[in-house]
Amino acid sequence: MRPLNLMWLLTTVLTLPALADTDHPTLTVVTWGGAYERSQHEAYFESFTEKTGIEVETVRFNGGLDALKEAYAKGNHSWDVIDMIKANADTACEQGLLRELDPSILAPAPDGTPASEDFIKGAIGRCAVTQLVFSTVIAYDDRAFPGVKPRRVEDFFDTQRFPGRRALRRAPVGLFEWALMSQGVPRSQLYDLLSTERGLDLAFNQLDKLRGQLTWWTGGNEPARLLAEGKVAMASGYNGRFFDAQVNDGAPITIIWDGQLLDYNSWAIPAQADQPQLAERFIRYATRAEPMAHQASLISYSPSRHSARERVGLHKETSTPMRPYLPTLPAHLEKAIHRDQQWYTQTFDLRWRLFERWMNRHATPD
Amino acid sequence: MHSTARHWLSISYRISAISLVAVTVGAVASLCAIGFVEAVAWLNHRLLVSPYARIQWGERPELVLAATVLVPTLGGLVVGLLMRYGSSVRRALAPPDAILAVQTDQPLPSLRDGIVSTLAAIVSLGSGASVGQYGPMVYLGTLFGALAAKLKLGVKDLKAIAIACGVSAAIATAFNAPIAGLVFAHEVILRHYSLRAFAPVTVAAATGYVLANVVFELEPLFLVDFAGVSHSYEFLLFAFEGMLCALLAWVFIRLIEKAGKLAALVRLPQTIKPAGAGLALGLVALWMPEVLGIGQESLRFATIPGAFGAGELGLLVTLKLLVTALCVGFGFVGGVFSPALLIGILFGSLFGMTAQTIVPLELSGLVAYAIGGMMALASAVIGAPLTTILIVFELTRNYDLTIAAMVTVVFCNLVSYRMVGRSLFDRQLRARGFDLRQGRDRAILQSLAIADYASTDVTRADATDTAGAIRTLLVEQQRAEAVLTGAQGYFVGCVRLQTLLTLPDAEPVPRKHWRIDPAFTHATSVWDAMNALEGFVGESVPILDDDGRPVGSVSEEAVIRAYLGIVDDLRREENATA
Repeated sequence: MRPLNLMWLLTTVLTLPALADTDHPTLTVVTWGGAYERSQHEAYFESFTEKTGIEVETVRFNGGLDALKEAYAKGNHSWDVIDMIKANADTACEQGLLRELDPSILAPAPDGTPASEDFIKGAIGRCAVTQLVFSTVIAYDDRAFPGVKPRRVEDFFDTQRFPGRRALRRAPVGLFEWALMSQGVPRSQLYDLLSTERGLDLAFNQLDKLRGQLTWWTGGNEPARLLAEGKVAMASGYNGRFFDAQVNDGAPITIIWDGQLLDYNSWAIPAQADQPQLAERFIRYATRAEPMAHQASLISYSPSRHSARERVGLHKETSTPMRPYLPTLPAHLEKAIHRDQQWYTQTFDLRWRLFERWMNRHATPD
Repeated sequence: MHSTARHWLSISYRISAISLVAVTVGAVASLCAIGFVEAVAWLNHRLLVSPYARIQWGERPELVLAATVLVPTLGGLVVGLLMRYGSSVRRALAPPDAILAVQTDQPLPSLRDGIVSTLAAIVSLGSGASVGQYGPMVYLGTLFGALAAKLKLGVKDLKAIAIACGVSAAIATAFNAPIAGLVFAHEVILRHYSLRAFAPVTVAAATGYVLANVVFELEPLFLVDFAGVSHSYEFLLFAFEGMLCALLAWVFIRLIEKAGKLAALVRLPQTIKPAGAGLALGLVALWMPEVLGIGQESLRFATIPGAFGAGELGLLVTLKLLVTALCVGFGFVGGVFSPALLIGILFGSLFGMTAQTIVPLELSGLVAYAIGGMMALASAVIGAPLTTILIVFELTRNYDLTIAAMVTVVFCNLVSYRMVGRSLFDRQLRARGFDLRQGRDRAILQSLAIADYASTDVTRADATDTAGAIRTLLVEQQRAEAVLTGAQGYFVGCVRLQTLLTLPDAEPVPRKHWRIDPAFTHATSVWDAMNALEGFVGESVPILDDDGRPVGSVSEEAVIRAYLGIVDDLRREENATA
């Protein structure tokens, strides 16, 4: 987490309790900002307030565990619900940063199917419930490649055939997998190889090839903007954000689905939250099929419930059919990397240590 | 009309019975092969052998280091105890046992021994020993085939066919390569291609494939991208690589044999020898963890340029050769195919890398050389060139790569056959007195005792008896030859009726008329008997017990009958249709 963000976050956090009024309870949701948060406002927060009279405040964060750890250390009680990557939620759960979640709070599907059967496999965890499937993909600026278009992950690393700057998230997530995949490693063997020193070295060596051409991003809305403004030719980013820029802003962005890194967002309640019943009420509401399908008509993330997926139709504003843009489209799944949550959870410190070391070693004026 | 109907009825019965056996044995062998692999993977994960498990404990390096040394050592101890107290034959059961059971009519060791051997293999592989997983899987298939063969189905050659079915399904499942499974069962186990065996073995291989691929949706073992051989001159390099691989195969096989002899010389209880090898392996692994286990990760890295330096490859090839010989020789239970694959691919990668720096021509990349080396070495060690070529084809579905690997494999086998014979398996069988080099008929003739064809009906006479008495005895018994015994009944020679007619009646037969050769013992094989009879004009040959007393005799006619019977059985089996 960048120091600047942290400061901003802390000020937000510290001023929040003053705003809370006991007569008109406020629910504080920690989430990711940008187009994604806008879709949550429309699909969940507004209708939740309408139904219950409970106002929803949001606090923005950029993922990871640092913000939650910081809040925990500061004894912050005001965060009620947090929207986390599943792997992070699992780690946080193990470290006692989250409350255990009672699965009975989850509503059955409209046709009566119990939640445990309606959610995709593994969605209901000890402390968190997965609400959507998103993916981290590589996208490119169409204008940068008027001739042959990049199609595969290896094209991201091929600056000879596809020149131009690249943008990557400043975090040890996804880039190792792509670096190995671009060297011919099949998807099924990625995490086995990345568990060896040799595999990680190979990945960093491949990243070295992009030295001097890299732009690092932290906030989810940055990559689409970097592409739209022509500052980079290719960028990693969340598929929903790219979709939003394509469809809502008409940005000339194309997604390469090859090697999309599938991941899951989960709702969880911080351990020190002082309104856990309210938080559970919100999670129960936000994991019903209708609001979930509603969100999928705003942004191209796939709901984690079968009953919600069946209700996904057209984009609300442009009437674009949403299914071809979902990461769970069978054609897209064929080339997907299923992020290994356990590997991510267990290698958290190692990944960051190696990543920072590599960043320092290659400190360039990127 | 009636007999035609019966004929068709019996054929349909045979076909249904054998198909049922093929599907059942195939399915069970395939499921067990999947279970075997899963059990090993589970142990590797739990015991911190796999890199995936090791990295998860990365924050506790002392734990990982302790596991690196202790797991193979204790694993070895468990294997030693299992073999000592669980197995009655006290040795690992492997493909040579399958070959022996199919090629001759010798019974397989007991079911219990087979299960103990399989468990010991799971523990060995699970604790990271440098041994292979396919040998034990082949034996597992053999075990179920032999079980099915115990059913009284009235089908000829059921044992050989059922064992081949089990083996082909196990290999088809393990490699996700049904054609390779089918060919392996013929090339290594059956060693002939009769339609009667071919059809059910194909069914079993397909069953294994369906279970692995359709039901369990296992991924192919080895996926690799290869654009094709870009230059024709590279085929010369492939051939040369093959010849070098033959040298490597010689080193590999000799090392394994030497390690076995060394282990026999070490004055330690057999029970703790595997633990000793495990300790040595663990200590090497502290420095080079790649030597542990099957080395899936290294197999892949060997195909990626830049993953290894040339020095690292050379070192790893050497270390892996040594630890594999040590593990196999000192009693870990497991095969040699997986280590051969790994050593071969590392060597192939080294060859490709070196060629790129030495040869002033453009080459089409590391992959072809790495895969060629892998398959060449492995094919020479197990004696299965056709199978390995097909494995490449089925795993990579890449025609160009298959052609390249084919050249390497064939040249390797041409040379290695001269140096080490057909395979390590055949050498191991030869050490057990079963030599397949001159063909199966000869091996069988050599493995069967002529004593089994002997008659106990012999005309015996004391060496001190008079010629007249012996003649009278022979006339009474209507024989032309008598066996003479000396003090305490020891054999001293034979005398023919024609000779007796020329001798004075009242005197014993003079010593110069005793015919000593030939005489057989219980150890004399049918093959030896046939050779000994060259130029023989007598009636029959005496068979002596261990002390040299005659216990029976075998006539020339019986030897010929034995030979014809065996050869006829073989011809019938190897040309059978349905």
